[in-house]
Amino acid sequence: MSMLLGRLVRLFPPAFRHQFGNDLREQVRTDLRRARASGRWRELHCGVATAFDLIRSAFAERLHPTWTPAPRPSIPEPRRDLTTMLSHWTNDLRLAFRSLRRSPGFAAIAVVTLALAIGANVGIFAVIDSVLLNPLPYAEPHRLVDIAASAPGSDFPPEFGVSEEFVIHYGERSQLIESLAGYDTFTNTLRVDDRVERIRQAFVTQELWATLGVPPLHGRLPGTDDPEGTVVISHQLWTTWFGSDRSVLGSTVDLFGQSREIVAVMGPDFWFPGDGTLLWISYRPDPAAVTPGRFGTSLVARLAPGADEESLARELEALARELPERFGGSAAYAELMQRHRPVIVSQAQEVLGDIAGPLWLMLGAVALVLAIACANVSNLFLVRAEHRQLDLAVRRALGAGRGALLRTLLAEALVVAAAAGLMAVVVAWLSVPVFLQVAPSNVPRLDEVTIGLSTLGFAAALSFAAALVCGLFPAWRSSSARLTRLRESGGRGTTRGRAWSRDALVVLQTALALVLLIGSGLLVRSFQELRAVDPGYDTDNVFTFQMAPEGEHLRDARSYARFHLDFAARLAALPGVDSAGLVENVPLNEGLRLVPFRTEDMPAPGPDEVAPGPRLNYTWVGGDYFRTMGIELQAGRPLHASDPEADSGSVVVSRAAADALWPGESALGRRLQRSGSEAWYTVVGVVEDVMQYTFRGEPDPLVYFSLVELGEEPPALSSPGYVVRTTRAEEIAPEVRALVRQVAPEAPMYRTFTMAELASDSMIELSFTMLTLATVTGLALLLGAIGLFGVLSYVVAERTREIGVRMALGAQARRVRSMVVGQGARLVGVGVAIGLVVALLATRGLDALLFGVGSSDPVTYGATALAMVAIGVLASYLPARRASRVDPIESLRDA
Amino acid sequence: MEGLSNLEYHVLLAMAEGPLYGYAIKDAVEEESSGALTPRAGSLYRVLARLMSTGLVGETDPPAAASQPHPGRSRKYYALTERGREVLAMEAQRLREAASLAERRLARGKR
Repeated sequence: MSMLLGRLVRLFPPAFRHQFGNDLREQVRTDLRRARASGRWRELHCGVATAFDLIRSAFAERLHPTWTPAPRPSIPEPRRDLTTMLSHWTNDLRLAFRSLRRSPGFAAIAVVTLALAIGANVGIFAVIDSVLLNPLPYAEPHRLVDIAASAPGSDFPPEFGVSEEFVIHYGERSQLIESLAGYDTFTNTLRVDDRVERIRQAFVTQELWATLGVPPLHGRLPGTDDPEGTVVISHQLWTTWFGSDRSVLGSTVDLFGQSREIVAVMGPDFWFPGDGTLLWISYRPDPAAVTPGRFGTSLVARLAPGADEESLARELEALARELPERFGGSAAYAELMQRHRPVIVSQAQEVLGDIAGPLWLMLGAVALVLAIACANVSNLFLVRAEHRQLDLAVRRALGAGRGALLRTLLAEALVVAAAAGLMAVVVAWLSVPVFLQVAPSNVPRLDEVTIGLSTLGFAAALSFAAALVCGLFPAWRSSSARLTRLRESGGRGTTRGRAWSRDALVVLQTALALVLLIGSGLLVRSFQELRAVDPGYDTDNVFTFQMAPEGEHLRDARSYARFHLDFAARLAALPGVDSAGLVENVPLNEGLRLVPFRTEDMPAPGPDEVAPGPRLNYTWVGGDYFRTMGIELQAGRPLHASDPEADSGSVVVSRAAADALWPGESALGRRLQRSGSEAWYTVVGVVEDVMQYTFRGEPDPLVYFSLVELGEEPPALSSPGYVVRTTRAEEIAPEVRALVRQVAPEAPMYRTFTMAELASDSMIELSFTMLTLATVTGLALLLGAIGLFGVLSYVVAERTREIGVRMALGAQARRVRSMVVGQGARLVGVGVAIGLVVALLATRGLDALLFGVGSSDPVTYGATALAMVAIGVLASYLPARRASRVDPIESLRDA
Repeated sequence: MEGLSNLEYHVLLAMAEGPLYGYAIKDAVEEESSGALTPRAGSLYRVLARLMSTGLVGETDPPAAASQPHPGRSRKYYALTERGREVLAMEAQRLREAASLAERRLARGKR
């Protein structure tokens, strides 16, 4: 009967049964037992009464439940006030700190991985912050624009400087420009007392200072009413040349053989236009004396409030159409003005545009590295959380809310990221100077790069973000741990979901690392291609320098030429020197002048007109210039080395110049005339083209005059560049310096380079980006390999028992190895496939830097993909080897 | 809440001196009601369930000296909560007042 009544308990709702079932049965049993003691009838009565009571109560309970199970007792959720939250967090952080101290290996790997990646980001950000993000040192710099000219469909370069009539006309007529200034920068000799050097200078119209809106440190900036020719000097010049002496105001310096008065000193932060110019000479263009079409002047303008670049372009285009009518000029000029389109770029873009691309590119690259590092650390946390699953599940069963578990798990990530952030600042602080050392020196504001407040803020924000990325995903996955699930997996199993997320992280890492590897590979290939370019001259065994001798006797062109040719001869006589020559502008070091040339077949220009022929570069050479530089003679003869007088009226032209002037014909014996000069010159030789500025692109057509022709403009050439061919190019400088001191004790010797140095400097933008990207890629590959290695090691450790069984059943060690390697290779394979696709899109950002190789170059893609797979197999091999050495007996016993 | 039923009052009363397990509650109720209440299992536990759901009674650890029916199965012990104790005190007060009212009326009726 007791059993029968026990069955009736099942009529109660499950929740009620769960709570009181045992008690009910016990009471029923005890009641019956007691009743039995009083006789069988009592027992029967009791049984029937109990049965009725149970049935009645069970139905009553189902209709009107009295048992509403209380909610599971739970740790009360924290009240949402700040103090409680803070105290919870400090508690969890303290616990996290302690628990990390107990696993120093894990903590060290996680911190160092993140610190390297965050450090790289912080370093690049510090550079970007100082160079790109800092506003330019002008008033309201966003309103400043640089204006150049273009003439689509003409033989002019895609973009060229304006000429004086533009400066005048725009300044008077434009409604959208508040003020504007023209400027020309050049390198010229500056002489103060005994000190003579060539420095970067600029002719600027007097409106420049009002346009830029920057007050001087000392003195008064020239205004439109001031006389022409006053000089403003930079802070650097003031401190290095004048000893920061304020009495410099009102004193004079010698420029172009004339004394000019210094009226102002600019502050240390001021620079314009970003090419290292140290001195500004004011001038005022005269509308009555303008020769239209003398292009090459730069133009900076301040937009009127509210004006935009697009409407300004329309306005300036219309204004340019009016120029021929107002200023005259040739028919060619009038036609050119019909084609003219202004080119307007913001001043920031003009100054920083070249370096902005590579810098952002680098930030992108280090961001990828950070993503890889985060994936790695995230994986470490996942594994760590798995080991703590039991602990977490118990806490959850005891009523810890998911929020509390999340907080506990996140606290560890926060502690790791905070340590990494601190270390990252140190990494950045140590590495930024190294980075700046190899950076191109022409980048403005590079010397201002510091780890400032904004950089520290960036480091803090990045560390916090890294903590969230590394910690949130594993924390979220693990905070759902339940005892039941654990019980199912035997308390140590890995659920498929977790394995999947680890695999996904490895795939992600592989893909990102491959993108970087491909980017680096493309740059390395470009660098090789660029190195292989024949610039038309030798870069080995050539030493070059400049000197600026002084003296009245040198003001005369003939004696000046005589002096320098004699000195070149003495250089050639130095031991180990093959030959020596001189040139106005050493290739890759200084720029050339570009002017129109005409042949005898072309019409003569009018009195105020520019010559009609093609625009060519020209320079002066003397001594054994062509042989010293290794510039090949194509036809005719070079200029005489020792007897310049014999070369009066002779020129040598480069192949491209010959083709431009006399297409398809021989240039030898033909005559040419330079715009602005009356004299005719006869071509006596044609030489190979040379790359004057860079190894990229086409060589520049060039006309070589003899030094003896200097008569026309001697002051402009007070310090030619010397070239010396010697196998001792690296170490000959001291001997040359001694010789200079003998001949001209007062003359400074500067710009001392080997041509090899100049060649590598000319590629510095590429080589610098390449080096940085290669370093970053190395880091990415290392982290990626560590990530794969870690995951596979973990998998092997987890599958030890399975592997043991397999080996006990006779599996070969080789098969076990290939099983593990195969698993790694599959992950890497998927990562490589994704990486290739991403790289195809991402490497388009490299186009500006690439040379001789496309951004989707199949060779680079194939080779790097193979390399990536090889690295993956290598990283898989170590865990695989360990797997193949599993002792079946041991593994089964442990399990 | 509505007033306590007689059984509920006695169930609460049974636990006033300390935690009890189910059958001990039944015995106490029978004894303290002088046999007037002999709750069957279903009714008793529904009352207990209702008292627990309303927070007057809670499950508790067995007292240190408690005997176990047999090893491996632990008895559930129940005890008054703070609120249960208050409600019992209030009910006792109400009964006392009702009794004294009755006595006063009866005394007046005699006069």
